[in-house]
Amino acid sequence: MKTVIFNGSEEGDLTIKAIEKSIVDQLTEKGWEVEPIELRNMQIAACLGCFGCWVKTPGTCVINDYGRETTRKAIQSDLMVWLTPVTFGGYSSELKKALDRIIPLLLPYFQSYHGQIHHKMRYKKHTKLLIIGAQEPGLDYEETFMALAERNSINFRPPAYAVSVFQRDTDPKTIPAFVEEQLKKVEVIS
Amino acid sequence: MNQPRKVLLLIGSPRGERSNSYAIGKFLVNKLEEKGLLPEEAFAARLVNTQKGAERLLRSVDNADIIVLATPLYVDSLPSPTIKALELIFEHRKAVFSTKSQMLVAIMNSGFPEKEQMDIALKIIQNFAQESNFKWGGGIRVGWGMALNSEPLKEKKGMTRKLTAGLSLASVNLSEGQPISKEAEELASTLFLPLFVAKSVSRLFGNRGWNKLAKDNNAQAKMCDRPCELNQ
Repeated sequence: MKTVIFNGSEEGDLTIKAIEKSIVDQLTEKGWEVEPIELRNMQIAACLGCFGCWVKTPGTCVINDYGRETTRKAIQSDLMVWLTPVTFGGYSSELKKALDRIIPLLLPYFQSYHGQIHHKMRYKKHTKLLIIGAQEPGLDYEETFMALAERNSINFRPPAYAVSVFQRDTDPKTIPAFVEEQLKKVEVIS
Repeated sequence: MNQPRKVLLLIGSPRGERSNSYAIGKFLVNKLEEKGLLPEEAFAARLVNTQKGAERLLRSVDNADIIVLATPLYVDSLPSPTIKALELIFEHRKAVFSTKSQMLVAIMNSGFPEKEQMDIALKIIQNFAQESNFKWGGGIRVGWGMALNSEPLKEKKGMTRKLTAGLSLASVNLSEGQPISKEAEELASTLFLPLFVAKSVSRLFGNRGWNKLAKDNNAQAKMCDRPCELNQ
């Protein structure tokens, strides 16, 4: 079983690094193959909004850089993890540059889903999704963050998904237990 | 004599001038220019990746009395260069104390007909405004972008009549130093036809539109390809 971790943190973000390490440790112990990707170190250009991945080279982004790899890894994994500092209630630009580039996972075609118009999925297989945000003390954007994750789960339709916000002023010793709880929610450990 | 107030149109779309974000934002800013405000334009995707560009962006923001952020919806949120621009502006304003009263207005647009699909993205911009000490000037949500086709908006014409009427009303509010009224927000955010019709048209004709684009690129037969499937 494979997990890919999209780490959208800045250099020196010890909280997210510790969460990432705990995910790697716990899943590796269970025999999973885990690949953490520090997005800040990867050459991923911003999505051009050209729709080329839908109508020119269907399923493949027209930009030939690591963004193509993120799409491949996202669909070929059993679990995809997104790690990000909670940024105004949403994701960091580092994480978002990768997410904007995985829309080749979708088809351009519209359908009604959950009462709204959404794009159809390109692949039959979908990937479980775990989203974790690290939030600065004194801020309370959990509701926005959870709602954004919920919207993403509607669009990417993972067979299981979980979202959680870790407060940065929490004792780091609690991280392994926090991670274990999240991995249980996406049904990859019991 | 008072200096004319300045309005910055900050475009969040990577498509720049060829975007619905630009078409909508430009209409509003043109209206404000008619009312005596001095306009300036900045394009997030062209500025955020270089030191020089970032400095230009921050200078433009510092100079503005009103910032109109016009941006599309990407994956339920803002495009990555737009988020990067917000991160840069936030860090800058933390470091440089300003007593100047500045207002931020957001105009979101999306291909989906339901304006509610933009609520979270708009909330993120609102959170940014609060954290960065901007006065919130209101938010407009323009659905069903396919009807606009990135062309300049014409006042009171067909499909854009409610949008342009709402933007015109918003320009009156902003020129008087007020946030956009709820009435203007609602008018500009309302589709020109009933939602259920727009949804049906999206399903029926929107898909034909995608096929036509693919055919133009000789890619129609490959539309549903799965190049990343494991067994390929």
